[in-house]
Amino acid sequence: MRIRSGFALLLVPALAWGQDTVAPTTGESTIPVRGENTGDYNVVQSWELGYRFATVGGDDGKYRSDVNYGDGIRLLSSYLTVNSRDGRGRWFDEITLTTQGLGNDPYESATFRIQKNRWYRYDLLWRSNDYFNPGLTVADGEHLEDTTYRWQDHDLTLFPQNWFRIRAGYSRTTQDGPALTTEQEFDPQGDVFPIFRDTREEYNEYRLAADIVLKTFRLSVLHRWEYFKDDTTDNLTATEQGSPADPSVLTGFNRAQPYRGRAPGWLVNLAGARKWIAMNGRFTYAGGRGDFIQNESALGTDRFGNAQNVQAIVTGNGERPVISGDLNFTLFPASKLSVTNNTSVSNTRMIGNNSYEQFNNATFTSQTLNFQFLGLLLINNSTDVRYRFSKKLDVFAGFRYSDRQIRSTEAAAVPSFAFRGITAEQSNQLDAGVAGVTWMPINDLLVHLETEIGRNDHPFAPISLGNYNVIRSRVRYRKKNYTLSGGYLENYNNNSILITAYSSHSRTYTGSASWNAKSWLSVDASYSKLHLDTIGGLAFFAGSVVGGSPALVTNQESLYISNIHAGNLGLRFPVTARADLYVGYNITKDTGDGRASLAQQATPVGQLLYNVQTFPLTYQTPLIRLSVKLTAKLRYNLGYQYYGYHEDFGLLDVNQSYRAHTGYTSLLWSF
Amino acid sequence: MKWTALLFLPLLLHGQTAPKPANQYLGSEVCKTCHADVWLNFHRNPHYKSIASGKEEPAKTGCEGCHGPGGDHVAARGGRATIGAFSNFTAGQTLEACLGCHSKDLSKANIRRSPHTEADVVCTDCHSIHKAATPKFLLAKVQKDLCYSCHASERAQFEMPSKHRVNEGVVQCADCHNPHGSSATTSRMGGSSAMLQPAFDNEEPCLKCHVDKRGPFVFEHPSVRVEGCQACHVPHGSMNAKLLRRPVVFTMCLECHNGAGTFGRENIGVFQTPSTHNLLDPKYQHCTLCHVRIHGSNSDPTFLR
Repeated sequence: MRIRSGFALLLVPALAWGQDTVAPTTGESTIPVRGENTGDYNVVQSWELGYRFATVGGDDGKYRSDVNYGDGIRLLSSYLTVNSRDGRGRWFDEITLTTQGLGNDPYESATFRIQKNRWYRYDLLWRSNDYFNPGLTVADGEHLEDTTYRWQDHDLTLFPQNWFRIRAGYSRTTQDGPALTTEQEFDPQGDVFPIFRDTREEYNEYRLAADIVLKTFRLSVLHRWEYFKDDTTDNLTATEQGSPADPSVLTGFNRAQPYRGRAPGWLVNLAGARKWIAMNGRFTYAGGRGDFIQNESALGTDRFGNAQNVQAIVTGNGERPVISGDLNFTLFPASKLSVTNNTSVSNTRMIGNNSYEQFNNATFTSQTLNFQFLGLLLINNSTDVRYRFSKKLDVFAGFRYSDRQIRSTEAAAVPSFAFRGITAEQSNQLDAGVAGVTWMPINDLLVHLETEIGRNDHPFAPISLGNYNVIRSRVRYRKKNYTLSGGYLENYNNNSILITAYSSHSRTYTGSASWNAKSWLSVDASYSKLHLDTIGGLAFFAGSVVGGSPALVTNQESLYISNIHAGNLGLRFPVTARADLYVGYNITKDTGDGRASLAQQATPVGQLLYNVQTFPLTYQTPLIRLSVKLTAKLRYNLGYQYYGYHEDFGLLDVNQSYRAHTGYTSLLWSF
Repeated sequence: MKWTALLFLPLLLHGQTAPKPANQYLGSEVCKTCHADVWLNFHRNPHYKSIASGKEEPAKTGCEGCHGPGGDHVAARGGRATIGAFSNFTAGQTLEACLGCHSKDLSKANIRRSPHTEADVVCTDCHSIHKAATPKFLLAKVQKDLCYSCHASERAQFEMPSKHRVNEGVVQCADCHNPHGSSATTSRMGGSSAMLQPAFDNEEPCLKCHVDKRGPFVFEHPSVRVEGCQACHVPHGSMNAKLLRRPVVFTMCLECHNGAGTFGRENIGVFQTPSTHNLLDPKYQHCTLCHVRIHGSNSDPTFLR
């Protein structure tokens, strides 16, 4: 038993070393362990219980949005495996359980597996994310979410090793918690008021599938039932005055907007392979539908000083049937040659209609019937040819073709006015060619170079891919104990037209090195430079009001330059016979266009655009973790991580810089 | 004369080299004599079930199920050249060896045409059969570290302030990507990201978690449906809040909503903001302050509620 315990202890440093963030994770071991035998089973387990702390200075909301670790006792991690020693357990042959962050960490998860060879396998994945987002730069600080996302996935497979398998599954996603949103009242130019939101969303999915394997062919059929419901409500908790420039007052507001959605669907997949061919065909259908009703009332005074009592009732539904299929062939006509062809077709139809009724001061004022249709028919085809000259050199080339048809109808019926409807149709065609080479000039050295050029005859939006070209390259030198690699990626998209221009140019450089000198000593380092500059033509109204509206501005451009340097260093090593240390440092620094401060511009519009052309900031997270062996089964762990977020200058008069000291102390018990 | 020649036939046959006996399957019990370290933990390996069943033919069970017959290896007293050592396999040989059993999984239906396979990144580059770092899937490292080891720029993105929580352990790369190759993405045109694992009805994988953005809505924001979430968001990580492509929202909106060209679903340009929207008024600099339902609305065509 002593020997077995000794082997089990080998797991402990591995668990400690497996962590490169201060948030512990579990279930990692690079060293074989034997655990302890109990009857016909072998058991390995460990539990790490500790206290986490965090102190934050600066913008706490931004810290909670980015990091969100708090104080308290946590089951930081746990790990349990039970395996039958002969693979013939009575009820099960394997149980695996891992957890992380249980006890109110913002990021909690658990996995569980139980299986009996040949008979069944059940997997559970449960996750929870305490999601906090103040959305400062997006909504002037008036939007906020303090919600919790929870996911769970259950999968049961019967006869997992058989030629005929049955699979059943259930997934559930929920989001709930308080949030802050905004509401504009009492007309399209009225003031904007913050509104409390009680978020309650729930998604359930049930799956049933069967797989049949006959020789080298497999047929899978899956049927799915999906349900979504949203019972979020919006309510005003106190009278809101709004902005000082606007006399509007909101004294009461509530909105109920229950939504019920369902999407039954089918998936059929047939795949097979022979010596000279591999094929895979798939068909899916999903019939999405949502029914809703919205009841909203707003009380207060509008911007002209008139009392307002507005009630709006909306009912309707939306449908989205989606049919898609794809067929892939890979041919191997010769040992050195492969040809792959993929054809996929997708048809999506979105149909929505509603009835909008509004009452102003208890008087029925308007009813609008809306109908919307958006249809997408997409055909993709790609062919790739690859020829391997030798074990060390192969080349490939390919052609992609996409044809997309977009049809839309927007129609509205308002009493006393003629029916209005707009129907439009267009097609986009994208042709792209790719070519590349993979070459090993010497043993262990791999060079990969690839380029892609594409042309779109009718981009859907100014930022869409128009005329683009991409260069990808990678170099890797790998030996048993160390790896060196580097890469370069360039993506240039030009979508210029007569009136305006849009072009985006990104270049990414990466270099990384890892060295595993011993099982207890390793070094990882990487550096990336991500450069992006884009320019886009703008047209908007701004300036002093002349003749009832501000002037149209068309001679300005949206320029954005991001120049990010990201570095990462991790070092694991023993400091004494009983103590192991992990030291890490991550830094991400956007130097923007190099400006140190915001300079004064000639015009207010020029100043506004100049202020948002670049967003230099630094985000760094050094960390250290110490793990000390106290007894044969017990280790003491101490971790510390600093989060420093510094904006060189804020955006639109908002600066969200913060610094946080976080860490934890824990005992890891393995037995 | 002819008949006397036959007398020499046995002599001629005897002079020839005897045919080499076929390499024999010996069973896994033999292997543990030398490879005790592997064998002692093998009962916890998923591949042990092939031994436990006791019904598989020799070529599909235990050590020899993957490494081939061990007769020559034993006769030669070891050596990589006498056994199917994966370190000696080409990428294609490794792939075929594993797919012999694992091709029946739906998730691997596209493995032969996946970008990983085409780049000679095959099973043993990510999975370690005998020294796995994770209890499930026999990964050689924790999943994120495994992916980061090649995708350094993605690592940099996940270390930005606004990011999906991959480093924190609540989101995994495989939530959105299928490293074994995914089905063709039919939610947008060519040039899309490699190995994105679409949601069940071929939507973007984002909607597997962000189900509230899915609809169907009466008023869809066409760019969301036609161009996808990446029209506005950077999925891995961003220096900007809410994974946005720009630090402030109005520049991002106005880059499309400028009324120019033949863009948009009506071919007349994506309509520009109305004349009532004075961009110098701070209220109009935060588009989503009023257009709160920007992903889609059931009641308002301009996404106000």
